[in-house]
Amino acid sequence: MTRHATTTAHGRPMPLERVDDCTWRIPRSARPGMRVDGLVFADDRLIEMVRHDQAAEQVANVAHLPGIQTASLAMPDIHWGYGFCIGGVCATDPAAGGVISPGGVGYDINCGVRLLRTNLTLDDARPVLKRLVDHLMREVPVGVGQGGRYVYSPQELRSMMQSGVRWLATRGLATDDDVICTEAEGCIPDADPGLVGDRALARGADQCGTVGAGNHFIEVQVVDRVADEASATAFGLHAGQICVLIHSGSRGLGYQVCDDALRDLRDAPRKYGIDLPDRQLVCAPIESPEGRRYLGAMRAAANYAFCNRQLLAWQVREVFAQVFGRSWESLGMTLLYDVAHNIAKVEQHAVDGTTKDVCVHRKGATRAFPAGHHDIPDRYRAVGQPVIIPGDMGRASWVLRGGPRSMERSFGTTCHGAGRCLSRTAATKAAKGRNIAEELERAGVIARSRSADGLAEEQPAAYKDVDLVVDVVHRAGLSSKVARLRPLGVIKG
Amino acid sequence: MYEIVEHTADLGVHVAAATLAEAFVDAGLGLFAVIAGDVGQIRVTDELTITVVGDDPAWLLFDWLRELLAAFDPGRMLLVEFSVELDAAGLRGTARGERFDPSRHTLAHEVKAITQHAFDLRPTSAGWEATYILDI
Repeated sequence: MTRHATTTAHGRPMPLERVDDCTWRIPRSARPGMRVDGLVFADDRLIEMVRHDQAAEQVANVAHLPGIQTASLAMPDIHWGYGFCIGGVCATDPAAGGVISPGGVGYDINCGVRLLRTNLTLDDARPVLKRLVDHLMREVPVGVGQGGRYVYSPQELRSMMQSGVRWLATRGLATDDDVICTEAEGCIPDADPGLVGDRALARGADQCGTVGAGNHFIEVQVVDRVADEASATAFGLHAGQICVLIHSGSRGLGYQVCDDALRDLRDAPRKYGIDLPDRQLVCAPIESPEGRRYLGAMRAAANYAFCNRQLLAWQVREVFAQVFGRSWESLGMTLLYDVAHNIAKVEQHAVDGTTKDVCVHRKGATRAFPAGHHDIPDRYRAVGQPVIIPGDMGRASWVLRGGPRSMERSFGTTCHGAGRCLSRTAATKAAKGRNIAEELERAGVIARSRSADGLAEEQPAAYKDVDLVVDVVHRAGLSSKVARLRPLGVIKG
Repeated sequence: MYEIVEHTADLGVHVAAATLAEAFVDAGLGLFAVIAGDVGQIRVTDELTITVVGDDPAWLLFDWLRELLAAFDPGRMLLVEFSVELDAAGLRGTARGERFDPSRHTLAHEVKAITQHAFDLRPTSAGWEATYILDI
């Protein structure tokens, strides 16, 4: 038996007022205690899905947070999360009592994606695709309870979390180019690994370089359409090119850092007089001992996540080298970019005409700085930051570039994926009597998973159409389409 | 009695029991049903003792579940039998099962954490009910 939770906390639907063809407002007056409006980026079709779960209620809840600036934002891949909705963006001002909320980052701190290029074409890949995917499945740890071949002592983990991907470069597991092409160069400053607890270190010891389960995956893809020739060229992408998309985060280490922080913050709302509509929004002022402790530990976990994706990329390179019988360098397996989509970062933004430091929470949302921004690697600065949007395993993923209006409209942020539209139980029910792997193979995608349930829960129909989601952020000016990629092979937990 | 309930991105567990202690037992079983899928595959060879200090039943349940999850990750224990005693100081529980063996056990979900979102424990006319959502 399954139960549906469809009623809102207040028992009445959340008002969604149309602002323009891809923006909807939840007015501040909708709930007592909202400090700012809610703003949802969606078109007519996607907003219908928003009306069917509790995500809009969660956008309104986030608007209660002290120090929130401009609006509580949600991207078009919005869906019901815990505390914050998935697809939520919230900027808080430390100087105005602004808070940091671990729920605004999520358990999987610095969950994110990276895209590796190759100089292979579809014709090169097609004859060996099955072997390639099977080899990836054998060599790269995926799934629940799967430890990896990289095992680190607490001391090594602390060094890794302090220095990020550069620490791996000193051990011959990353190149300078890998470092440069990772958000924040693979190391968020002011991390405090000393605040990461023993249980988190134990969970993380053998999980760096493992995919995990849930919606995480490694996918072999082909660029099937270039939307913006000049930008694609600047990103080193062209039609027919094989790429590899890696989606994972900070594994058990990050989950435990978040869990420990929620415990540390349990009494903070009472201590600081913060009234919250949902316990999962628990938070503390950024400028408080509790807030600073969480930020230090969260940054450390984020650096672990960058290293996790780096080690995954390293293993993917090794597998390609084995299967194609050439070095990964000669296969052109360079990193396009690595972006976080579950994170909180202190960034400079203009609010009401004043530029100031704000703490941008991105919970299932991706940084998307426009052309010219100083935080973009030199090689991409004239084009805009590469943004990588994983879709579902049957349809497509996208490479975008930071859009011209992202700074003024969304604190330099865009969507992070397709967004779920079916619950895990509903997806499993819909897959009963079907073989999802066979269906995908008929559609030209080789899918390998540790569990049949994993494929059922993550089947394409469980997700919104990523093309619709990307269309909204493109039209809203948050990010611009560069290239569409189609899946060929995927490994999952 | 427990049942797995829907949540768009994640999974929830709903528990209904005659007593508060039984609600804790069923909540533990629900957690391992999500982790392992079939709890019938878990043999009983080891026992853990878990103590949680506190006087708020909801936080006690939350912390009990946190400890059980930690027994699996990082502890790698799959648990299937539980007993709980509650008193003014908190909770003393035992959890029985066996060490995870990838060659023999299949797992269904990677549970990242027990979330506080919509976490609920309440007395009813028939005993106690609880609901919690797991991040998957």
